[in-house]
Amino acid sequence: MTTTTPRVGKERRRRGGVLGNTGLYVAVSVAALLFLLPFYLIVRNSLSTDPEITGENWKILPSFQWSNVSELFDDQTVQFGRSLWNSTLVAVLMTVGTLLVCSLAGYGLARIPYKHANKVFYAVLATLMVPTAVTFVPSFVLVSSLGWVDTYRGLIIPGLFSGFTCFLFRQYFLGFPKELEEAARVDGLGYWGAYWRIVVPNSLNFFAAIATITFISGWNAFLWPLVIGQDPSSWTVQVALSSFMTNQTVNFHLIFMATAISILPLVFVFLFLQRWLVQGIAQTGIKG
Amino acid sequence: MSALSSSNWDRRNVLRAALGLTAAGGLAACGSNTGRSSGGSGTGLVQYFHAYGEAGTEQAIKRYAKAYSKANVTTSWITGNTFEAKLFSALLTKQAPDVFEFHPQLQMVKSGQVADLSDLIDPVKDDFNPADIKSHTVDGKIYGIRMIDDPQFFYYRKSMLEKAKVDVPTTLDELLEAAAKLTTDKVKGVFLGNDFTAVQNAVIFSAGANTLDEKNQIAYHTDGVVQGLKQLRQLFTSGNVLLDAPTDFWDPSSLDQGLCAIQWGGMWSMPVMQKALGDDLGIFPFPAIGSSGKQSVYNGGWSMFVNAKGKNVDAAKEYVKWLWIDQKKYQEDWALSYGFHIPPRTSIANGATKLKSGLPAEAVKLFTDFGHFDNIAYDQTMQTAFADVIASSVRKNGNPEAALDTCDKKVNVELKKLFG
Amino acid sequence: MSATTTRGVAQPAPVKASQARPRRGLRGNATLNFWLFTGPFLIGLVIFVFVPIGWSIWLSFFDARYTVTPSQFIGLDNYKQILTNSNFPQSLLTFTVFAVFIVPTTWALSLGLALLVNRLRFMRAFFRSVFFLPTAVSYVAAALVWKMSIFSGVRFGLANTVFGWFGVDNIAYLADPSPPWYWVVIVSLRLWLQAGFYMILFLAALQNIPAELYEAAAIDGAKPGWQTFRYITLPQLRATSTAVVLLLLVAAYQAFDEFFNLISTKATWAQTPLMELYKTALGNSQDYGAGSAGAVILSLLICLVTLAQGKIMGFGRGEESK
Repeated sequence: MTTTTPRVGKERRRRGGVLGNTGLYVAVSVAALLFLLPFYLIVRNSLSTDPEITGENWKILPSFQWSNVSELFDDQTVQFGRSLWNSTLVAVLMTVGTLLVCSLAGYGLARIPYKHANKVFYAVLATLMVPTAVTFVPSFVLVSSLGWVDTYRGLIIPGLFSGFTCFLFRQYFLGFPKELEEAARVDGLGYWGAYWRIVVPNSLNFFAAIATITFISGWNAFLWPLVIGQDPSSWTVQVALSSFMTNQTVNFHLIFMATAISILPLVFVFLFLQRWLVQGIAQTGIKG
Repeated sequence: MSALSSSNWDRRNVLRAALGLTAAGGLAACGSNTGRSSGGSGTGLVQYFHAYGEAGTEQAIKRYAKAYSKANVTTSWITGNTFEAKLFSALLTKQAPDVFEFHPQLQMVKSGQVADLSDLIDPVKDDFNPADIKSHTVDGKIYGIRMIDDPQFFYYRKSMLEKAKVDVPTTLDELLEAAAKLTTDKVKGVFLGNDFTAVQNAVIFSAGANTLDEKNQIAYHTDGVVQGLKQLRQLFTSGNVLLDAPTDFWDPSSLDQGLCAIQWGGMWSMPVMQKALGDDLGIFPFPAIGSSGKQSVYNGGWSMFVNAKGKNVDAAKEYVKWLWIDQKKYQEDWALSYGFHIPPRTSIANGATKLKSGLPAEAVKLFTDFGHFDNIAYDQTMQTAFADVIASSVRKNGNPEAALDTCDKKVNVELKKLFG
Repeated sequence: MSATTTRGVAQPAPVKASQARPRRGLRGNATLNFWLFTGPFLIGLVIFVFVPIGWSIWLSFFDARYTVTPSQFIGLDNYKQILTNSNFPQSLLTFTVFAVFIVPTTWALSLGLALLVNRLRFMRAFFRSVFFLPTAVSYVAAALVWKMSIFSGVRFGLANTVFGWFGVDNIAYLADPSPPWYWVVIVSLRLWLQAGFYMILFLAALQNIPAELYEAAAIDGAKPGWQTFRYITLPQLRATSTAVVLLLLVAAYQAFDEFFNLISTKATWAQTPLMELYKTALGNSQDYGAGSAGAVILSLLICLVTLAQGKIMGFGRGEESK
């Protein structure tokens, strides 16, 4: 990825001396260490015993208690394995659903001529003004009157209709080359066919970026799963973590092991999908 | 067993959900087939419990439920600090619990949320602690069955007090002095819970005041309480008090791990503390505040209620009667086998050998001599308002009088809603 | 070719449609297709966004305690109640202070990181990943680490351990609100979590600045460093900055997770508007009427602020003119 910016490199070479470079690397390394510190703590604590964590002297390296992993999953009261499964299911289904629903709508708003399209777009835009979190009380009431408390549909479906994601898709499709679609029309495809055969396959980068962002926000969501997940069996990882924190008994090593495991999938998603993510974010149109 | 595993989440359901959505305006149509199915034979009942910290409690509650033959009872064991929020919001929904534990709340009676249980209790009314009956009675009807009484008091490490030559404090002044003498660079003198709200009722009682008076008017706003708040503020800023501990007052860890010499706690912690500290453990009530004050113990506890708006009120009542009236063995097990609690029923309390000697017997004496019970009219909203007083005048440097005035305003609005 | 023929055939609403953009598609069933594509989303939006908003507004005029299907109309009492006899106004103030501080700080930090990373020649991808990685962590997990490990008030917390080496007594960062250490806890957490994401936005923007601009500036005698930054880089980042500030503002409005887990609801300080609404509606008092009234007030405020910000910084205009 270092190859992406040759021209800035040229400009830099002119002014950066050896000394300036050393200073730069010192500064960036210090910042990096600070940013990595919490990760270090999570790993250290998750692989320690409680006395090691709460002891009077700071232990830099843990004693690598790998048995903490099995202890965590054997703990019956919090059902951590179950919450991991719930989070996975919720995040995956939410990602798939959001991509489907919002991309279709974004395409419709961007590309299909309809005389009231602008009005519809403004209605979508208006929902951006009201953060979803503000409407959580009536949303909860609505979802509960549908009988969706403690169900996957209650956790997933209300989160699919993100005005913001729809907005991002619309912005993206506005910039999608028209020539490609026209070629599809030549082949006699309607909007639907052109969308699935031409537009989507040529936008996979962008879909991947939105997918990553949606997956992360689905995985990390807290307030909504907190109110929807009444029964521990429907808790997501975040709710389980929160309850660990406020539980009646505190087992540090288990809490941090749970934290470590809850972060792990996303760290992998990040490291592997980072290229798409960075490109996608650059494409979202936010960059103006 | 749970809602999730029983509501077969398969492709058809996804489809149905999606179709339900697409059917514009079909609000009422969707979700019609959800809800907790009972799975087994007979009626399905759902009960809500907050997560007790003591080992074995969850298994015990589920064991009792399993022994009941007339209904299939599922237990929601709610860990974390959101029990109230979860319970109350669940009560609005179709998946509301049929049976739940809580504290007596007039608001719940007035809004018709909890069922009248008089006919269950009346035959054995005399066997209950009269104070527990009183705190659950509204207009002659009894709305909840007390399961356990939980007196709250201070625990202390005898060895630490001896070493520092400190007597057991009987006034708040003495407690402040003791805290100062007991504090070392490794150990803090006293622990009142991380946010001090654990003692919010004790402060009122120890100052000789009350939450509400006989006519259900504010009785906590006295000079004694103001003085108590000021002294707590002193204590809070003295550096002799344990703050930001990893566990709160309900957990024995802080005293056990030697983070403090004196800790506020509940009787439920006693078995674990005794195991950890042996004889190096004593208890005393919340010390008196000011000249008109006297030592006090706050008797908390938990009661069973039946959701009057539930689908199976009669079955729920039958279950509650079976477990919390008839099954004395289970009641005794629940009160004495895990944490220690005082059984509200005289016949069980009298036969409880575990509470007859040593520290538990002392606790029972504190409960009887200094105990103050819940007032059903002093509801959660008012308690939250008073918790704000603690936050703003003890943890923050606010004027206690002003904080109490703010509290009065909120409480009066609430009282007006309750009594007109 | 088929495209041009269909263009000639169907022209039902030429003026308005072509105003949106000139189109050579299958006009005939465009309306149907439009609804086919947007329908599922719009229906969901109506049910899960517009209905709750409407319901909320309706509830706010009723006495809705322990119920969400109230019958007693009480006019503006809920609004009076939440504005005069609750902690809600205080929370709005808290939030404002928080936003005024956190938004510029995050902006500056993420821009600073982007500038640093952008100048790196070696290990650039590595450092970018390091700064970006916290974005993957949830507020809950971060709050847990902050509360139980870094800023734990007891002797084995990291901060207290480090301070202990210098003989400083243990500090109760969260329990004791004076001095307000809790802001250090919350702000550092938020910076850690957010800065990486916005850094990526700035990086993308930085790389889009034409190198010629810098060369021209150098010829004109602008010194590299502050002058170039002030007169070339910053103006070129204007659009991104605007977007970042807007996103940060919205994020600050929605602050809940880390406050809820760090401060808890049993305090009178550092309570965000959302926490007050949570307490009012879902907490002990179960007052959905007053909670909804608060939600309505908050929404109106957010609309105002967003519109004002759009006016001042010009976000949205560029989008619409496309």
